[in-house]
Amino acid sequence: MSDIHDTNLREGLGERSQSYWQKAWMRFRRHPFARWASVVLLVLYSLALFADFVGPYPEAKSFRKLQFVPPTKVYFKTEDGRWTRPYVCKVERSRNLRTFKLEFKENCEEKYPIYFFVKGYPYKFLGFIPMDLHLMGGPWLVEEKAYLFLWGTDDFGRDMFSRIWFGARISLTIGILATIVALLIGITMGGISGYYAGSRVHIVRGLFRPPQKRHAASGEEGAAQQNGFFSGGALAEGWREAVHERRVPVFLVGLVLQYAFWGAATAVLYTTMQGFLSISEGLERYLAMLVFGGLLGTMVWMFLFGRLAVDVDDLIMRTTEILAAIPGLFLLIILSGMLAQYDMPSSTRFLLVLTILAFVGWGGLARNIRGFVLQLREMEYAQAAKALGAGDTRILFRHIIPGTLGYLIVVASLAIPGYILAESGLSFLGLGIQEPSSSWGLLLSKAQQIGISAIKERPWLFIPGFFIFVSILTYNYLGDALRDALDPRAEH
Amino acid sequence: MTAYILRRFLHLIPTFLGATFLAFLVIQLAPGDFITRLELDPSYDRAQIENFRRLFGLDQPFTVQYAKWLSGFMKGYLGLSLSYQTDVWHVLKPRILNSMVLVVSSIVFIYVVSIPIGIYSALRQYSWGDRFWTSFAFFGLAVPNFFFALLMLYFALWLKDTFGHEIFPIGGMRSLYIDGVDFFQAPKWRQWLDVMWHAVLPVIVAGTAGTAGLTRVMRTQMLETKMQDYVRTARAKGLSERVVIYKHILRNAVIPIIASIGFLLPELFGGAGFVEVVMAWPGLTPMILDAIFSIDVYILMGSISISVVLLMIGNLLSDLLLAWVDPRIRYS
Repeated sequence: MSDIHDTNLREGLGERSQSYWQKAWMRFRRHPFARWASVVLLVLYSLALFADFVGPYPEAKSFRKLQFVPPTKVYFKTEDGRWTRPYVCKVERSRNLRTFKLEFKENCEEKYPIYFFVKGYPYKFLGFIPMDLHLMGGPWLVEEKAYLFLWGTDDFGRDMFSRIWFGARISLTIGILATIVALLIGITMGGISGYYAGSRVHIVRGLFRPPQKRHAASGEEGAAQQNGFFSGGALAEGWREAVHERRVPVFLVGLVLQYAFWGAATAVLYTTMQGFLSISEGLERYLAMLVFGGLLGTMVWMFLFGRLAVDVDDLIMRTTEILAAIPGLFLLIILSGMLAQYDMPSSTRFLLVLTILAFVGWGGLARNIRGFVLQLREMEYAQAAKALGAGDTRILFRHIIPGTLGYLIVVASLAIPGYILAESGLSFLGLGIQEPSSSWGLLLSKAQQIGISAIKERPWLFIPGFFIFVSILTYNYLGDALRDALDPRAEH
Repeated sequence: MTAYILRRFLHLIPTFLGATFLAFLVIQLAPGDFITRLELDPSYDRAQIENFRRLFGLDQPFTVQYAKWLSGFMKGYLGLSLSYQTDVWHVLKPRILNSMVLVVSSIVFIYVVSIPIGIYSALRQYSWGDRFWTSFAFFGLAVPNFFFALLMLYFALWLKDTFGHEIFPIGGMRSLYIDGVDFFQAPKWRQWLDVMWHAVLPVIVAGTAGTAGLTRVMRTQMLETKMQDYVRTARAKGLSERVVIYKHILRNAVIPIIASIGFLLPELFGGAGFVEVVMAWPGLTPMILDAIFSIDVYILMGSISISVVLLMIGNLLSDLLLAWVDPRIRYS
């Protein structure tokens, strides 16, 4: 029997059998734009990684007197038309005495040749390796005799070319990180929701026997137990079940959580009632009394006699519905707008923006993953794992979730551009990444801040916008190619 | 069916409570409240500030504020705007109407442009025209709204510099004067014409992404329907190509698009987004941004709750429309 493994059953047909992933890879490579998109993204990411090296200036280096300097012209020919090493001229600031506008003029008396792979401003590569090697520059650059602003400067006189690569770090990574976080939450929530759909969890167990449940005592086994004032309650019943199934610690922890939650809820409701009644009058007051009284009464009743079990699935899905009920952009803007008003270091702000993006986005993922899990948990292999005695966590994360991998990859690649767009939009409005850090959205916002009619004079401020556009475009292409490649229905 | 609708409506209540409570909670995250900035103003003394707080209920726990807001909402009262010192609805209404000009025109723009393109692309798959529109769709989906708006402004400025007068206005919603007459004294139709003239570029910006998306949906739908058995049957029994395309393919392909009309409802009242900010259109979005920075709680709550209600009703409407248009779908 062992040679069945070695013999390729389709060998006679001149075809090598391929796994799903091999076929997907083939299809991906055949996609017309996939290769271009990957190359462009790879270039962008490496430029972001080597931002210190590529950009001639450090991220926060500003020249106070050189605001909105147009891009420095690079000359390849001398005045008499001979090819030479590329050089730049010095820009000088002057004020036009008729219009009172600042003007920048080139002074080409001295030429400043651009050298490649030269020493420049010191920086720490990858954050810990001290280096001072730069792609372009020259000794004149560090000595500030002349300036190399390939894409002009912004309102603080900072080099846009350098800042765009520093901004790329944030703009390009925040999309990936937010997707990962949203996926983690989405997988966990959707997995739990789908896997435990249908099984109920008690969120409140009453202490005592409900008055209306008086069992006809005679002869029934355990009737005494069920008729006891205390032992007939849902709490005692749960306890007996827990002892029987040997999960007393879990039961106790659940119990403490239940009571903590309901206690807190009652307290909040009570203070709310008090406050509300103190500031309202007339009909509103009476209605409020009725509503709050009814709510409190129900809660107390539940506490004493009731029993309430909910489906975890229901709970999680209702939560995602609530998230989905607020228009996404709205929630995003308000959430980050409120939190943007705090002062915090830029790394914290980065994490904050990331968290907000993930928080707003996980709901849809969870819903879809739940659908998959509902389907996959009925598969034979999941049932087999269960029969072999695997735990829930193992079945869920080792057997079921991997089945959704193809979907997850596609979703991730299509979610990333969405997050990049969201981050740049927030930063553009001043609600996301803030100075002195840079991100493409923030850099682009300079184009708008300076007033509408000045846009025409400073077109170089549009450059970050093109990068946002290109990165979203390439990610869209990539996602499209991945979707075509991973679609199991595709036959090629 | 009635039972289904009723059940869905009952479902909406906890969702509405949850969503508005979440929004209220989010607003509480801000440092301080609306009155905090007055504390820095030396012209107000402490007693006055405390008085303000009590007046707006800001001294109560936030759950009380929420309950009060909710009770007002039930009566159709959205609360008092803190910074405009007037009824929230009076602040919101003109802004919503302004936004609606943009939103309605861009929705019309989207449907009028993208459905024919989608049909054309699907019928002539892989032709040069199809390729052009596909790349256009990729462009439209990838270009950030605010960046496109900036480019449009640049374009308008360029036109102005090139031709010497404004072919398209540079931002804003209305001119100060129409032919030397004050805007509000000019005849109504001139006012409308002026607003529409201002709306051209913003509508293009606001509509591009939607057009791109809908074009692709329409194309995919048409392609999928084209492959159905009943289309082959229709051809086999000798129907003319026109009848096959318009009666058998198109009618089935637009089903999900018709159903999605319900989703437009919240959009109508939700503002046009970034375009309004960049192009200085006095719509809902700039006002919301202002309200965020001044922590004007009830303006925010008012616009959110309107959006939430419309979003939920829109979703319900979409589901019902789908069942109505497509007899294969039944809800029980």
